[in-house]
Amino acid sequence: MIYYLTTLLVYGGVDAIACLGLSQQFGVAGVTNFGFIIFQAAGAYAAGVLSLPSDSANGAFQSYVGGLHLPFPFPLIGAAIVGGLLALPFASIVGKRLRGDFAAIGLLVTAVMANLLVTNYRPFLNGAAGLSLVPSPLGGLMNPQSVGYQWGYSAVAVVLAALTYLFVTRITNSPYGRTLRAMRDNDIVADSLGKNLRSLRTSSLVVGGAIAGLSGGMLVGFINLWDPQAWGYAETIVLFAAVIIGGLGNHRGAVLGAIVVPLGFEEASRYIPAIGNPGLIPALQWVAIGLLIVLFLWFRPQGILPERRRIIAGQAFTEQSTAPDPTGAGQRVGRVLDVDAAPPPSTAPVRLRVRSDADARDIILETVGLVRAFEGVRAVDGVSIAFQRGQLTGLIGPNGAGKSTTLAMLAGTLPVTEGRILYRGEDVTQIPAFRRARSGLVRTFQLASEFKKLTVMENLLTAVPDQRGDTFRAAVLGRRYWGRQEHEATERAKQMLEEFGLSALADRYAGDLSGGQRRLVEIMRSLMAEPEVLLLDEPMAGVHPRLAHQIGERLVGLCGKGMTIVMVEHELAIMDEFCDPVVVMAEGRVLAQGTMASLRATEEVVEAYLVG
Amino acid sequence: MGRGRGAGHVPAPLRGTAERRDADRTDARKATHHLSIFIASIAFGLVTSAVLALASVGFTLQFAVTNVLNLAYGAVMIASAFIAYAVNQAGVNVWIAAVVAALTGAVFSLFLNNVVYTPFQRRGTSPIAMVIVALGMTLILEFGTQAIAGGTNVSFTMGQGPTFQAGSFQLTGVQLAIIILSVVSMLGIHVLIRFTRLGKAMRATAANRNLARNCGIRTDRVVTLTWLITGALCGLAGAVFAMDAGTFGATSTDLFLVLILAAVFLGGPGEPYGAMLGALVIGLATEVSAAFIVPDYKDVIAFVILLAMLAVRPTGLLGART
Amino acid sequence: MSADQREAGPDDQPKVQGVSLRTVEVTAGYGGSPIIHGVSVHVEPAEVVSIVGPNGSGKSTLLKSLVGIVDVLSGQVLVGDRDVTNWAPEAVARIGVGYVPQVDDIFSPLTVRENLEMGGYLLRPREVSGRVERVLTVFPQLRRMLGRRAGKLSGGERKMLAMGRVLMLQPALVVLDEPTANLAPIVALSVLRDHVRQLALTGASVLIVEQRAKAVLEISDRTYVLGGGQLRMEGTPAELAASPDFIESFLGGQGATARAAGT
Repeated sequence: MIYYLTTLLVYGGVDAIACLGLSQQFGVAGVTNFGFIIFQAAGAYAAGVLSLPSDSANGAFQSYVGGLHLPFPFPLIGAAIVGGLLALPFASIVGKRLRGDFAAIGLLVTAVMANLLVTNYRPFLNGAAGLSLVPSPLGGLMNPQSVGYQWGYSAVAVVLAALTYLFVTRITNSPYGRTLRAMRDNDIVADSLGKNLRSLRTSSLVVGGAIAGLSGGMLVGFINLWDPQAWGYAETIVLFAAVIIGGLGNHRGAVLGAIVVPLGFEEASRYIPAIGNPGLIPALQWVAIGLLIVLFLWFRPQGILPERRRIIAGQAFTEQSTAPDPTGAGQRVGRVLDVDAAPPPSTAPVRLRVRSDADARDIILETVGLVRAFEGVRAVDGVSIAFQRGQLTGLIGPNGAGKSTTLAMLAGTLPVTEGRILYRGEDVTQIPAFRRARSGLVRTFQLASEFKKLTVMENLLTAVPDQRGDTFRAAVLGRRYWGRQEHEATERAKQMLEEFGLSALADRYAGDLSGGQRRLVEIMRSLMAEPEVLLLDEPMAGVHPRLAHQIGERLVGLCGKGMTIVMVEHELAIMDEFCDPVVVMAEGRVLAQGTMASLRATEEVVEAYLVG
Repeated sequence: MGRGRGAGHVPAPLRGTAERRDADRTDARKATHHLSIFIASIAFGLVTSAVLALASVGFTLQFAVTNVLNLAYGAVMIASAFIAYAVNQAGVNVWIAAVVAALTGAVFSLFLNNVVYTPFQRRGTSPIAMVIVALGMTLILEFGTQAIAGGTNVSFTMGQGPTFQAGSFQLTGVQLAIIILSVVSMLGIHVLIRFTRLGKAMRATAANRNLARNCGIRTDRVVTLTWLITGALCGLAGAVFAMDAGTFGATSTDLFLVLILAAVFLGGPGEPYGAMLGALVIGLATEVSAAFIVPDYKDVIAFVILLAMLAVRPTGLLGART
Repeated sequence: MSADQREAGPDDQPKVQGVSLRTVEVTAGYGGSPIIHGVSVHVEPAEVVSIVGPNGSGKSTLLKSLVGIVDVLSGQVLVGDRDVTNWAPEAVARIGVGYVPQVDDIFSPLTVRENLEMGGYLLRPREVSGRVERVLTVFPQLRRMLGRRAGKLSGGERKMLAMGRVLMLQPALVVLDEPTANLAPIVALSVLRDHVRQLALTGASVLIVEQRAKAVLEISDRTYVLGGGQLRMEGTPAELAASPDFIESFLGGQGATARAAGT
C-alpha cells in the first residue's frame, strides 16, 4: 500500500512538472511544440547515461554513450540542461512563417523520427531495448527498495513539482509573462510594440525544454529504465490533452490536468476489473482520452480552470470627468521633452510651419522614393514625403491609394521593395519593426489588434517601453525588482484611462469590448509607448464623432509638445479640423499636399476622389 | 500510459512487411549483384507506391476541398482493414472484403467530416486546434479498433497467388493485383477530375469556394461527395495495406501516415497529381534506400523529404508558388 | 446610356430579359450586428443603377446581402417577383443573378478557359463551348489568354475575366462590387465604359457599386448615394452632378452629409 502511494506521488510529481513546462510554453507563450515529448525523453536519457557506469549488462551488454556514473544530483541537473539545449535547434523551426497546422505536423514528425532513429541505432542509447539498470539516486547510501527511500523520493518529487509551479507562476505573473501572453494573442502587434519575438520564442522553448528534461530525469531515477516505447507521439498527445483539459494558460489547471489525465487514467485502470482481452482496458483509456480532447475542445475549450483574469491590485477609479483634459497632463511625450504640467487649452489646428531647407534638421521622418511592388502590382510607386517634427500630418486618398501600405513600410511591418526610410536622419529601411518601435517609431493597426485575452489595463501596460520587468532575468528576480516601475506604469495607465473615459473598462478583457472601444484602447496603448513618431492607421473608424473630436484635440496637444503624428483617415472632417499638412495619395503616388481647404479647391484632388 | 509501464500500446511499424521483405531480400542478395538488388527493390517500391498512391490521393483531395489535414486518415484505414478482416474471417474472399473496407471507409470519413471537422471549422477553430481535434479522433478510432479487435496482430486468410519473375524483378500475384488496382483507381480519379461535372465542381470548390457557389455549384454537396469518394479510397488503401503487410494491428498505420504526409507534401497539399507523383517517389525511395542502407531506417528518407518540403517549399512540387 | 442605344445590342447576342431587383428596408450585417439600416433600392429591368458613397458606407455589405453572403437581419430582397431574402449564394446564382466580387473574383489555379467553363457550370455540356465563343466576342482580349493560368493575369485582365465568367450564364441581373478597385485609372475607365457597358448591352439589369463616382455616373441610368449604412441621396446622374451636396458628401464636411440626411 505504501509503495502504491509513493509511486503515485512520484508519477504525479513527474507528470505535473512536465505539464507545467508545456503550460508555460504552449499555454502562456503560445508556442505549439508538438515535439515536446522529445525533451522529456532527452532528459531521461541524459540522466540515465550520466548515472550509469561505463558499461552494464542486463542479459546482454547495453551499449550507450556517456556512462559517467555520476552521483546525485548531477544526472538530474544534466537532464534539465540537455532538455534546454535541445530546444535551440527547434527554435529555428518554430519561428518560421509556416501555416500553424503544417508546422505542427513538422514537429510531430520530428518527434516520430527521433524515436525511430534512437530505436534503430543501438550504439547511441541502446536502441529498442532502451536503458535499464539505471542507478537510483543515492542508491549506494540507502536501499532504494526501503520504505524510507520511497518516501524520500516522493518528497523530492513533490517538492520539485511545487518549485516548478512557483517558478513558472513567478514568470507568468511578471511583465515578462504579460509580454509572452501578448505574443500568444497577437504576435504581429507585439512585434510592433517593440517585443523581440524570436528571442521570446527561443527562451520559451529552452525553459519548457529544461523543465521537460527535469521531469524525465526524475522519472528515470525512479523506474530505473527508459525505452523508446515510453515516448511515442501518443505520449505528446497525452500531455497536450492534460494541459487543454486542465486549462490553457492556467498553471493550476496544468497540475490538475496532470492529475486527471496521465495519472488519473493510469490509476483508474487499476480499479476496473480486467474484462475482455488483456489489451482492452488500456485501449479504452486511449479512446477515453481522445474523446475527452474532442469534447473539451468543443464544449469547454478554456479547460476546467480557465486562465485567470489578472486584475492589477489596488485600483481605485475616479469618476469619469465630464471634460477630459484634451492635452493629457501627466502624459509623457517623446523622449526629448519633459513632462509638462500646464496644458494649453487649444483646439485650433496646429499652424503649418513654413517649409524651407533651413529647417531640414526638423525633419524627423522621411521616405525617399519608396516603392512597394508585390506580384506585379505597385501598391506604392515612388513616394517621397518629409514629416516635420511636431506636425500632425493627415494621409488621405481613395481606396487602393497605398496609404496603409506606406504606413506599414514606415513602421517596418511590411518590407520595402525600393527606396529608403530615414528616421532622425538615419537609414532604418532594413531595421525590423520591433527595433523601430523601441526607438520611438510606433504604429497602430487598421483591423482588430488588441490582445484579446489580456485586460484593457494589461493591454496598456504591454506598450510601456524599457520595462524593467520585461526580461526573463527580471521575471526570475521577482516583484521586488520590477514592482515599483510597474506601479508607476499602472498609475500612468489609470490616468490615461480616465482621460479617455474608459476607467470602468480597465479590467475587462480587451476582446470583449465594442469596436469603438477597442479603437480607443489601441490609441491609448500606442500613446503609452511614448512614441516620438506615432503612425495611426484609421484611428477614428467606428468612433463616435464627439469622441473623435476629443481625441483629435488630444493629438494636437501632443504635437504641440513635440510629438510627430502621421494619420491615415477616411473621415475628412477630421482632416479639416486637426491635420496640417494633409497629403493626398492616389494610385501609389503622392498627388498633392496642403491644408484640407486648399486641397478641396484643387482640381486633381477632386478628380482623384470621384474618378480615381 | 507508456513510460515503460506498459499499456498494451505496441507500435508495430510495418513489421510484417519487413519480415517478408527481409526474407526476400536475403534471397535477392544471393544473386550478389547490386543491380539485381536494385531491381528487386524497385519491385517492392512499386507495391509500396501503389498502396501509398491510393492513400495519398484521398488525403490530398480531402485537404483540397476542406482545407483540413485529416490526420485521422490512417486510423480510418486500419479500422476499415479490420472490418475487412472480420468479413474475411467469416469466409468471404479477401478482395470482396476489400470492397467492404472501401464502403466502411466512405462512411467513417463522411462522419468524420460532417460531424466533427465541419462544426469545428464553422466555429472558426484555428488550424492548430484542428490538428489536435484530428489527433483526438485518431486515438478514438485507432484504439477503439484495438479495443474491439484485440491487441494481437492478425492476418487475412488469403493466398499469395503465383509468383511472376523477370530476372530479379519479382512480384507475387497479390502484389501485382495491388499495383493494378492502384493504377486503375488513379485512372478513375483522373477521369473524375478532368472529365466529369463533379470533378469540375471539386476543382472549383478547392480553388475558391465562395466563387464556386456564385457559379451555382452546391458546394456542400460537392464536399460530401468528395469525402465519400476519398473515404472509399481510404478504406481500400487500408485493406491493401493490410494485405501487403501480411500481419497487422490497430497501430500499424501510425508510421504509414508519415509516408502519406511525405507524399502529399512532396507533390503539394491539395494536388491529386502531385500526390500520385509523391507516392511514386516516396515508395521507390524508401524501398531502394532500404536495399542499400540498413532496412530499419528506410522510412527516415521519407521523414527527411517531408521536413525539407515544409522548410523550403510548403506548396509542393506541383503546387503554385505562393 | 439611353434605352434606344441598348435596343441594338451587340452583334449575334440573343437578348436577355433583364429582371428587376428590389430591396425593401434591408438591414444587414455580419453575425447579428448591422452595418446597413433600412435600405430600399430598386433596379428596373435592363436598367444600369450605381451605388456610390465614401468608404465604410456599407456599399459592399449591401451587395453581399443581396447574393446571400451576408445575413439580412430584417427586410426583403426581391428578384423579379421572387423573394430571395437570405437564399444561399448558389441558389441565387441559379435564378440568373451573376455576382462579381471585389476580391477573389477568379479561380486562380485554373486557366482562363477553365474559368469561363466553370462559369458555365449550370449549362448543358453541349452549350458550353458555344457560350464561351459568345463571351469571347464580348471580351476579345481574352481570346489570346485562354491557356494562361488566371492567377498570372494583370488587374484589368482579371476583372475582365471575372465579368466574362459571369456572362457565361447570360444572367438577367449582374451585380458588381467595385470592379475598378485597385485598377489604374485608364484601365478603370475602360472597364466601366467598355466592359460594364457590354454587360448592359446584353439586356441584363446591372447594379454596380463603385468608389469612382464620376466615372460610374457616366454609364448609369440612376444612382444612389450611401453613407453611414443608410441611403442619403438618389437621382439621375444629371441631377446629382448638379447638386453641391453630392460632391461634398465625398470630400468630407459633416455639414454635407448632415444636410443630406436632413438632420
